Amino acid sequence: MADVKRNGSIINTLKQHALTAISYLIPIVVGGGFLLAIGSLMGGVAIEDFNSKWGFADTLYTMGNQILGMLPVVIGTGIAFSIADKPGIAAGFLVGLISIKMNAGFIGGFVGGYIAGYIALFLRNKMHVPKWAEGLKPMLLIPLISCFVVGMIMFYVIGTPISIFTEALNNFITGLDMSQTLLFGLIIGILSGVDYGGPINKVVYAFLLSLQSEGINEPMAVLMLASMVTPFGLTMMYPMQKIFHKNVFNRTEVDTLKTAFPMGVCMITEGCYPIIFNHLLPCVIATGIGAGVGGALSMFWACASPVPHGGLFAMVTMTNPLLWLLALLIGSLVFAIVLFFILKPVKADSEIVLDESDEADINLSDLKIS
Amino acid sequence: MKIVGVAACTAGIAHTYIAKEKLVKAAEKRGHQIHIETQGTIGTEDALTDEEIKAADCAILAIDIKISGTERFKDIKTIQVPTEVVIKSPNKLIEKAEEIVAKN
Repeated sequence: MADVKRNGSIINTLKQHALTAISYLIPIVVGGGFLLAIGSLMGGVAIEDFNSKWGFADTLYTMGNQILGMLPVVIGTGIAFSIADKPGIAAGFLVGLISIKMNAGFIGGFVGGYIAGYIALFLRNKMHVPKWAEGLKPMLLIPLISCFVVGMIMFYVIGTPISIFTEALNNFITGLDMSQTLLFGLIIGILSGVDYGGPINKVVYAFLLSLQSEGINEPMAVLMLASMVTPFGLTMMYPMQKIFHKNVFNRTEVDTLKTAFPMGVCMITEGCYPIIFNHLLPCVIATGIGAGVGGALSMFWACASPVPHGGLFAMVTMTNPLLWLLALLIGSLVFAIVLFFILKPVKADSEIVLDESDEADINLSDLKIS
Repeated sequence: MKIVGVAACTAGIAHTYIAKEKLVKAAEKRGHQIHIETQGTIGTEDALTDEEIKAADCAILAIDIKISGTERFKDIKTIQVPTEVVIKSPNKLIEKAEEIVAKN
């Protein structure tokens, strides 16, 4: 992997490691989050003592609870693995465990994962040993040295500041007053929505996952809502065309809705891409406003989602699910109204054919050639 | 020319497959032979064979994340790019790939 990455910017490379870790994280969080939520709906609690009596619901709750408590380990291991391949795993795992113990949480695992990964990569590439010791290098030297060094860094350098920062952040977010809550929801909604699952959304996502691992689940509900406003809003515009006798979609775009809406229900915005790319700027404006309004309402009504993906299917796990749905519908309606009035009317049977020359130019720094 | 490649995105359910489709369409439009493997969250699908990779003029890796099996491409020209770029500008990317292959 390391040699494929000679070109390309540092930021892109760092981002790729985070995304790799998140790609491992998502199924784990979804599995754990659903178990936790179902267990909690059935009245389960965490099993502390296996010698006393426990029930089925408690097992579900405990499974979920265990998994979600391990997120710093998953993110630390994932990042270190992405950087250094197999030799990164031991140190990344350790970083996550220390992070949990020191209450440095997800951020601790995240930052530590990078340090662990680069230490392991450095040892792998730069440490030269005599021929007889070559077998010892991956078996003994890399795991031992990388674990020791990164462990010392966690304990003596970054662990405590990160845990103080994490606690301050949590206090800040749990202590927001009413207008601040609205504003926070608005900002998270806008940022999660406007680039349709692109880099801004992913940065917000990583941040919200870190809040989730501290048990703050309201912002994640905002992000889920923001990802669904566009497909829901576009679908709402279809009947509006009939009511107001103004066609804004051509036939191909209407066809797109047939797949875009079901995908939207599962919190996948990508189905809307064909429509979004036809009217990029108006869509971004409408999404910003719609997702912002929906997000503010969702935060205000204290809707919370312990599961970070799944769309409407995650509703069973939410706190205040119906209010969340209402916030989603209002946000989508706002989106629909804004976009409906910005867009110029078209003939229903007209086709927009994207010409090759309409394509965005490729930024050469995005390419890594080897 | 003959193109092989891999598509993989973060969530592994949507971008991966959209990128594959866009690449295939753009490449076939310009008369190239193309085979793209996907490494979604479900695992590897449509896996490339060693013969295909050996016969290829270049590899396009449309990936946002670390994928498995990059060492398979060490002997051929490899172009790595985020899935987002492929989805936005598939035709331009194929043109670029033609240029890069022609230069060698």
